[in-house]
Amino acid sequence: MRPTFGLRFFLMSLLLLAGCSRNGEFPSRPITLLCPWSAGGGTDRVSRQVAKQLEALLGAPVNVVNATGGAGVTGHTRGVLARPDGYTLAMITPELAMLHWRGLTNITYHDFDPIILLNRDNAALFVREEAPWRTLAELEADIRRRPGEIKGAGTAFGGVWHIGVAGWMTHIGMQPNDVLWVSLNGSAPSLQELMAGGVDLVCCSVPEAQALLDGGRLRCLGIMAEKRMASEPDIPTFQELGVDWSLGGWRGVALPLGTPPERRDILQRALTQVVRSEEYQKFLSQANFGYAIEADAQFLRTLEASDKEYGEILTSPAFQDVQRQRIGPMAFPTILAGLLVLGVIGSAMTGGPTKNTDEYRFNRAGLLRIGVFLGGIVLFIVFADTTGYVLAGLALLLAFLAVLRVRMLTAIPLALLVVLPTYQIFAVYLRVPLPWGWLGW
Amino acid sequence: MIDSLRDAALQVFLSPEIWLIVILSAVYGVFMGAVPGLTATMAVALFVPVSYWLEPTPALAAVVTMVACAIFAGDIPTVLLRIPGTPASAAYVDDAYALTLRGESRRVLHAALLCSVMGGLVGAVLLMTLGNQLARIATMFSVVEYFWLYLLGLSCAVVVSQGSALRAMVGLMIGLLLSTVGLSAVHTEARFTFGQPELFQGISFIPAMIGLFGISEVFRNLLVLDSPAKSQPKPQHDNDNTAVSENVDAKNTSLRSEQDLAATSAAATPITTPIRLARSGVIGALIGMLPGAGADIAAWVSLAVSKRFSKRPELYGKGSLEGIADAATANSAALAGRWIPALVFGIPGDSVTAIVIGVLLIKNIQPGPEIFTKQATLVYSLYFVFILANLILLPVGWAAIRVGGLVVNVPRNVLLPVITLFCIVGAYSINGGYFDVGVMLAMGVLGFFLERRSIPLGPVVLGIILGGPLEERFVQTIVSTDGSFLAFFSRPMAAVLGVLCLTTWAVTFFVRTIKRPTGTPGAGA
Repeated sequence: MRPTFGLRFFLMSLLLLAGCSRNGEFPSRPITLLCPWSAGGGTDRVSRQVAKQLEALLGAPVNVVNATGGAGVTGHTRGVLARPDGYTLAMITPELAMLHWRGLTNITYHDFDPIILLNRDNAALFVREEAPWRTLAELEADIRRRPGEIKGAGTAFGGVWHIGVAGWMTHIGMQPNDVLWVSLNGSAPSLQELMAGGVDLVCCSVPEAQALLDGGRLRCLGIMAEKRMASEPDIPTFQELGVDWSLGGWRGVALPLGTPPERRDILQRALTQVVRSEEYQKFLSQANFGYAIEADAQFLRTLEASDKEYGEILTSPAFQDVQRQRIGPMAFPTILAGLLVLGVIGSAMTGGPTKNTDEYRFNRAGLLRIGVFLGGIVLFIVFADTTGYVLAGLALLLAFLAVLRVRMLTAIPLALLVVLPTYQIFAVYLRVPLPWGWLGW
Repeated sequence: MIDSLRDAALQVFLSPEIWLIVILSAVYGVFMGAVPGLTATMAVALFVPVSYWLEPTPALAAVVTMVACAIFAGDIPTVLLRIPGTPASAAYVDDAYALTLRGESRRVLHAALLCSVMGGLVGAVLLMTLGNQLARIATMFSVVEYFWLYLLGLSCAVVVSQGSALRAMVGLMIGLLLSTVGLSAVHTEARFTFGQPELFQGISFIPAMIGLFGISEVFRNLLVLDSPAKSQPKPQHDNDNTAVSENVDAKNTSLRSEQDLAATSAAATPITTPIRLARSGVIGALIGMLPGAGADIAAWVSLAVSKRFSKRPELYGKGSLEGIADAATANSAALAGRWIPALVFGIPGDSVTAIVIGVLLIKNIQPGPEIFTKQATLVYSLYFVFILANLILLPVGWAAIRVGGLVVNVPRNVLLPVITLFCIVGAYSINGGYFDVGVMLAMGVLGFFLERRSIPLGPVVLGIILGGPLEERFVQTIVSTDGSFLAFFSRPMAAVLGVLCLTTWAVTFFVRTIKRPTGTPGAGA
């Protein structure tokens, strides 16, 4: 009787634990906010501010995960593929409306359920203080005089600020490649390059260049917006200067398609409250970010409009032409592969790379142990999302300990002692979204 | 100026609040640095919401302290488990672990701690005295100069490697090739992704590093664990050299130690000398202040320079305390350097300073040239905070070494599974995804086989870190000069760095490959 009772008790408590977390109010466990850009950048800062306020409103932790890389492909893709249970929110940026035009992903704004747009920063054009051009018109005249010689930077090739310059060129009847775009990864290295004299102009948002602008090292020739910025009333807009072109980087929150409507409502109410709050607006103005709010349908229209606009520029023949660069994407790997082959041949001729005789010899038992470890990690990758970190981690550790012939009497308490505190520390204190599964807390 | 200097000193050294925050951040920083997979950047990003409640000076104090402590703490798993806690420790992982196998882990850690503290102080002094002038050098760096700097960093990885330079180059090329997986930053075109969206992000270096060093070491140990013929090498604590030599097994004797054992253990060489301290400190601060370079390149370059001037260059890669000391000095000195562009231009040198600029903006402080006049007290406070942080690191780091040292007493068959689990969690933490765990596993297998072919792993890691930036700068230079290769030498600073770089390559290959055709004293024997 006793073991059966024990087993029953165990199963009951499992069920209870699981039941508590499943049927409670939404949200009953940590929410993940995916940020497609790295820690410290503008999108990351906005994300963390939103997360902090959302957490206070919803009463559940909101963790920012920087799913970076691939010029935004990684983060946006993960946002689309996330389980639509309301526990994963995605921060989306204009790259969503660009990447698919360039064939880098199939994902478009149709794959998201947009909730709210919460910030917009317009592009501006910067040159060095000692540069010969005092106005946009002077710069334009110079570009017309020697097309393709003036160098610009601001972001990677085909990124939002590149579109800013390309759109400007198109609107004044010139070609996108009349400004030679040096593909630098982000506004910070671009500004550094501008200071070092490597490029002649930088297109980025005003807050990104604020320090150098205030320090008198840069001159802003104009902002690609409909109206002047409240904080920088001296900077003219492109429209005032006779160029009907505006472009802004924006940030918004979206859900994967298929999120239950009642959860979507809860999230939308909370997000709207956050964006309307004084604290959020104070944050934006202090960090020099531009305020904007667009909900549901309006946000969708913005997405539609920018998708169309960027598509026109990115698929235009002139832009396609720019894309064919002198150094192709395979040039560098080819050089490397060549050197690798040379290295291997070279070391073969000078007595290597022979097998290191002093290394451990392969033996059956050892290989078996390695096999178990390899297999265990693979199984962990496959199953951890379903079972959760706690169970998967315990199973993994116990299996490994068993293979290494640690007695179960030692192994079980040891495994508990390792897995439970790591979950607490990582998932709760360090905000790493370890898989929740059946037993998370 | 004197007034603000005095105010700043009072604000920093006499405020119990600052002391408390610095001590707490030190403990937190040590923890984040010591767990592979958790980085200084992550530590700072998590701290941001807390910083809202703090005044600017305590907020800066916390950031400075946690980063300084994290960079030192990265040495703890490097030394004890051969898993670099931060990329800045990857330069000397082989040296450190070789010494650990010889039972000198605590000596290595104490040396690393001492050098981190002194390096940090040298960096702080340079920041204080020459910050503005150094910033001017930083503005001279355009894409060409960065290209040469990255190439120089990569060359250093080949120079410091033990054994054949050609094999180190093979390792480097493998690393560089791995770095080309994913979306090419400069062309924004997908390469080697086979249509998998996960591969677009490429191979991030932290899971790769955990796999190459950590998992491959686990595999190696699994191979010999309780096999009858040999007892596995077990890291030992110091103080008992006879016991250690008895425990050294076949692999140890032939591969890593014997001829050096007596030499290193007995040698009463000082951990560092004023000249080496100054040299490594200046190298660290100079490289650290360049946006886009950082503590990792600083450590490699310093290690290479150290080897060049060392009386015992043959020990490098096989347990040179001298090399570890110089590299540890440089990577800590680099930390102060990276504040220079952030303060002077408001251009973040790396992700940590990017976050700091964000924090300052929230406090209504605009970094930039004007900060030195408008916010003089804050700037001086920052200098004093650097000094305080490094002083606090001494006791906290010492305690961490004691606690970490317990690891070597844990039996291997218990330790290996636990390390593996930590590697998994660490890799997962980077992006909160399983792809990185997969990368870690694949790199573990790769590392295991490369080591069997005696190809050093350090260059592979550096290749993965610097491959992307190197290619970017190369293509950018070509693009912006309309395809002229002369551009690589057209600017004075570029010419200097270029010649330096080419000389390094020439010397390395002539000395190591031509002079000693069989020349792999340790590994090829």
